[in-house]
Amino acid sequence: MSQELRRPRYEMVDVQPGFVIIEKEMYSQAARAYFSAEPAPPKEPYREGSQVWSFWEMAQSVRFAVKDTESGEVTRFDELLGLVFYGAADPASDLYQIGDLAQESKVSIYVAVTYEAPDGSRLNIAMDKIRLLNRFFNERLRSRDKKILILPDLFGLYRELTYGQIMLDFGLVSMEGAASQQGESA
Amino acid sequence: MKLQEIADKLELTGLTPVFDKDVSGVYISDMVSDVIANAKAGNLLVTVQVHANVLAAANLVDVAAIILAQGKQPAEDIVRMAAKHEIAIFTTALNRWQVATKLYEIGLR
Repeated sequence: MSQELRRPRYEMVDVQPGFVIIEKEMYSQAARAYFSAEPAPPKEPYREGSQVWSFWEMAQSVRFAVKDTESGEVTRFDELLGLVFYGAADPASDLYQIGDLAQESKVSIYVAVTYEAPDGSRLNIAMDKIRLLNRFFNERLRSRDKKILILPDLFGLYRELTYGQIMLDFGLVSMEGAASQQGESA
Repeated sequence: MKLQEIADKLELTGLTPVFDKDVSGVYISDMVSDVIANAKAGNLLVTVQVHANVLAAANLVDVAAIILAQGKQPAEDIVRMAAKHEIAIFTTALNRWQVATKLYEIGLR
């Protein structure tokens, strides 16, 4: 099975290592996450209006951009918290069942989950950026007939997810237990 | 180099069927984000990480197979999921350095 070797059109650039910091609000126990590129992530509690937010958990991650080498355009994905593989979802969930069906056609489904805005709402990720992510990952596949389909979180999946289901590096050996709580922001 | 040839030469224990794939290189990492950012399609992924998210990352970048070093054993559901996505999983008692040197010795670069 010979593979055509050609330069990919899309490249991952400006890969910035850092930490996904998950913090909890003292009174409501709401959780939210943000990216920190600081070498020593901040852990001090702070006040935001009547709320007090404090460090809860962190995971290593990266922030990146994708460059279109034909146009030179660079698109940043700072709003992207991570991807959720359908296989990491509850087998009874819509995502798992759709993903399981799609996999029969060699389509692997992932969902792009974004960070929360300061007001607790989810940041939006534009459909054009979702399309770009799909083009980026699909053009480097080698397995015959295989496809990746990254979807936006159209179903509010984030309300049901744990941070541990998102592709983040909570630990080198196991993240079980470290991030098993709900990732709700409101 | 074919996956089966590598499995035979390193005496790896297969947990899944060995799929007919060409291996084009090796990437060693225990970090999901690192695999997504730096591993390439057709690479062998050598790791001690057995969490499902490693399989998710391996599938996303289309690695040829996963070698779990130091005798690490994934859960049954992860093995089933890997087989469904035609990503072979092998285990070996060798550590990552030993796996790397053996892969180099058999000609993988």
